[in-house]
Amino acid sequence: MGDKSGDLVQGTLDMLILKTLALEPMHGYGIAVRLEQMSKGVFRLNAGSLFVAFQRLQRDGLIRSEWKATENSRRAKYYALTEQGRKRLNSETREWGRQVAAIARILEAS
Amino acid sequence: MSLLRNMASGLRSLFRKEQVSQELDEELNGFLDMAAEEKMKQGMSRKEALRTVRLERGNLEGTKEVVRSAGWESFAEACWRDLRYGLRLLRKSPAFTAVAILTLALGIGANTAIFSLLNGLALRDLSVPHPEQLVRFGAHVPGDDYAALSLPMFQELSRSQKVFSGTFAWWPDIVFDAEIDGSLARADVWGVDNNFYRELGVVPEIGRLFDSEDENLSANAATQVAVLSYGFWQSHYGGAADVIGKTLKIDGIPFTIIGVTRKGFTGLSAYMEMGVTLPLPARQLFGGEADMQKYLQRRAARWLQAAGRLRPGVTLEQARAQLGSLWPEIRQEMVPPDKTFADLGRFRYLQLKVESGASGEASLLRKRFSQPLYIVLAISGLVLLVACVNLANLMLARAASRSHEMAVRAALGAGRARIVRQMLTESVMLSVAGTLAGWIFAHWASHAISDFILGEIYSVPAALNLAPDWRILGFASGMAILMGVLFGLAPAWRATQEDPNVALQHGSRTLGKGTSRLGGRLIVAQVALSLVLLMGSGLFVRTLKKLRDANPGFRTHSLLDVSLHPKPNGYKDLDLVNYYRQLIDRIAEVPGVESSGMMRAIFGNVLEWTERIRITGSDAEGLEADFEMATPGFFETAGITLLQGRRFEWQDDDHAPGVAIVSQNFAQRLFPNDNAIGQRLDVMNARNWRNLKIIGVVSNASLYDIRKAQTPTVYLPSTQYKDFMGWPELLVQTSLPPAAIADALRRTVESQGREYVFSIKTVRQNIDRSILQERVTAMLSTFFGALALLLAAIGLYGLMAYAVTQRTREIGIRMALGANRSGVLRIVLREVIVLVGTGVGIGLPCALAVTRLINHMLYGVSPNDPVTLAWVVGALLAVGLLAGYLPARRAMKVDPLVALRYE
Repeated sequence: MGDKSGDLVQGTLDMLILKTLALEPMHGYGIAVRLEQMSKGVFRLNAGSLFVAFQRLQRDGLIRSEWKATENSRRAKYYALTEQGRKRLNSETREWGRQVAAIARILEAS
Repeated sequence: MSLLRNMASGLRSLFRKEQVSQELDEELNGFLDMAAEEKMKQGMSRKEALRTVRLERGNLEGTKEVVRSAGWESFAEACWRDLRYGLRLLRKSPAFTAVAILTLALGIGANTAIFSLLNGLALRDLSVPHPEQLVRFGAHVPGDDYAALSLPMFQELSRSQKVFSGTFAWWPDIVFDAEIDGSLARADVWGVDNNFYRELGVVPEIGRLFDSEDENLSANAATQVAVLSYGFWQSHYGGAADVIGKTLKIDGIPFTIIGVTRKGFTGLSAYMEMGVTLPLPARQLFGGEADMQKYLQRRAARWLQAAGRLRPGVTLEQARAQLGSLWPEIRQEMVPPDKTFADLGRFRYLQLKVESGASGEASLLRKRFSQPLYIVLAISGLVLLVACVNLANLMLARAASRSHEMAVRAALGAGRARIVRQMLTESVMLSVAGTLAGWIFAHWASHAISDFILGEIYSVPAALNLAPDWRILGFASGMAILMGVLFGLAPAWRATQEDPNVALQHGSRTLGKGTSRLGGRLIVAQVALSLVLLMGSGLFVRTLKKLRDANPGFRTHSLLDVSLHPKPNGYKDLDLVNYYRQLIDRIAEVPGVESSGMMRAIFGNVLEWTERIRITGSDAEGLEADFEMATPGFFETAGITLLQGRRFEWQDDDHAPGVAIVSQNFAQRLFPNDNAIGQRLDVMNARNWRNLKIIGVVSNASLYDIRKAQTPTVYLPSTQYKDFMGWPELLVQTSLPPAAIADALRRTVESQGREYVFSIKTVRQNIDRSILQERVTAMLSTFFGALALLLAAIGLYGLMAYAVTQRTREIGIRMALGANRSGVLRIVLREVIVLVGTGVGIGLPCALAVTRLINHMLYGVSPNDPVTLAWVVGALLAVGLLAGYLPARRAMKVDPLVALRYE
């Protein structure tokens, strides 16, 4: 099975989706492909976890959705970052950086 | 914000399910298609690509399910499904549903009713603003509940204290005759100072309330104005607005009505409206001192109740401390100038009592009924437990018949939590329905009980506030949920214990195991609980019987108590001795009257008159004795026998030397070796009642409390104490029923023109009234005991009937192999006896432990009364055998052929 989302640190999927959407609005498959590309194939996500995350983010008001035509003139739901989502992404990125640096320091110390 | 959005989105998926599901479908399909197209670009066939995508990304339906169940709405939906499913099931077995709901309605309803009464009587706050700030204070002799102040005491305390933002005083109710538009009625009259209404935050319905001019403590006469309660206004003036300015005569004295208080205001009482309120000094108009200033300035006469409103941030403890520190000095100042030794002694003991006034005053009722009600609440709680066990058993039986269904569910992947939730949903549904039905029952029952109790005690309208408040709502809903979970838990637990494999394969093909172990245990618990309950109610019933049969030493049958009240100004310029002598002569001429005489107290009245008595000239402590004043004719009429000497005569008037009659036990206590006749007595607390010669010894009696062993009693002739002659109780010995003679008695009294008949009661009625709390306790606990017995019988019957059905095949085989009918009967009954016997074995020590706690409420029976015990155990066994016999008879009739062909 190609599901490697389990390898993701708990709670980081939301952050990654927000990051992906920071560039431009995208549809679900686009997000999945982009995440795989950017991680060089480390993260491969199954539809279930991805769409649960979409639902959650949308309910929290961090992203919004809209039906639009794709480049292949197929109908798809496009997700876009809201203002609140942008703020959340910034704060989470900062927090992530802090934590990673702290963990790195601990690991190097030993 | 985000919570709202979450809700909105969840609700959308709940209520626009189709649309939401279609959208998700389309989106996911698109997702999988796109992924497949990608694969096809790499050279896979479409079929291959789709398969790979499914493997990599998950299939459509599975994903949809995952997404759907991620939100809260899926949980809500599952609950809703459980509810609907449960409802369908309950509808399918209406008999079970009806029995369950009825049982719960009775159980929860009874508990709620008793709790409402208790709440109204003792727990709930007064309906005035910030009742928690109210603090009552008054001086009392330790050991005596009655606490009150004189006006100077109140004024001094109010001036010196710093803990209250305001203080107010009032004198408690006296029932007077009121003349309203020319007709006489009974009015509950109170007097209040001008702070009273303001401090209690009362606003008038119409008119105005008292101000300082109305009170005017420095005037020479009281202002004659009155404020009515809403209830009084409604019942006597029909709520007419022109009542303001009308005149109301109270005890013949006119008062101008200035206002009406709002509906529901009951002053500081928990259950009684203040029918008519007058300014504080108006009390002086009703007797005694002619000079109002003298009346108000009496320093030692404690006639006022007082309360204050705590300043913000001040606690009751602080108030108690400060008032307590002020008190000794004030008490010292208040010692009356014309002090006697006895007065001084009493004064030294006066202490300040300071307590919360938040829940208002209900002292008499509270004292008599709080404890019985707590006991009854405990009893009804036990009944509810029995009902709960019953329902658990019923549910268990149902669960057993559904074990196949549960097994299928479990096999299809329903988790344990899911099955438990389903079962609990059903039971909680039942208990909520039961609570709703019980609510109606509770409303009816609590009002009926409250009206009964108050109606027996009070001659003026009184009602406990039984309206639901947060306490009652919390109590009822808490009970509903607790019950639902309690009786749902057993079957739910059992359901999860079963191995679906076994249930599916074997079904009902195994030999019966008899009653289920869990079911049997529940029955044992039920029998034990019922035993405790029945023991309690049995003891209360026996107590009541003993009280009813108790011989108080006076006549309790063929004796009427006729209360006489003066007409307005009826006693003015009247020679009471002559008047009553004539009246008693007239009464004696009424056909059917055998004898008559007068006393002051009412037999069995809770307000007892006791005095400390000693031999004249001795400096002994004296003997505390029941005390009474009576006219000639009293002893013959009351059936108290003269043992020695003579009875009172009309010649014993205030010109003759003071005399007394004592009871036999009094004579024995004070004169163990001498003849009591001719000895002299002093009443210690009364200055003028000295050197009284004993002229007679009569048989013992307990005049005031029939629960007490007959106490030493001293009687004085009321003919020698004219102040004590008015407002008498006329005793009439007659074998006629009261209704047959009442009119003649009324006419005779009226014809004298001075008095009228306030009420006619048989002495039996008065005594019954005095044991009201025992009657109520016995009545309610009998009801609950019977209910528990019935429930236990139903439970046992249900269990045995079920067991017999389960074992039909086994019984068939046994009979085919030669067992005879009586053998089958034995098998079933043996089980019943084992169950009931175990229950009794467990319940007995519990009952004996519990009844010790109610020992002080019993009269004439010991808490482990063997008669009650025998009855209770016998009743349980009999009911158990009967409940077991019916299914056993069915078992006997099993036709082995039919039973074996059954499957």
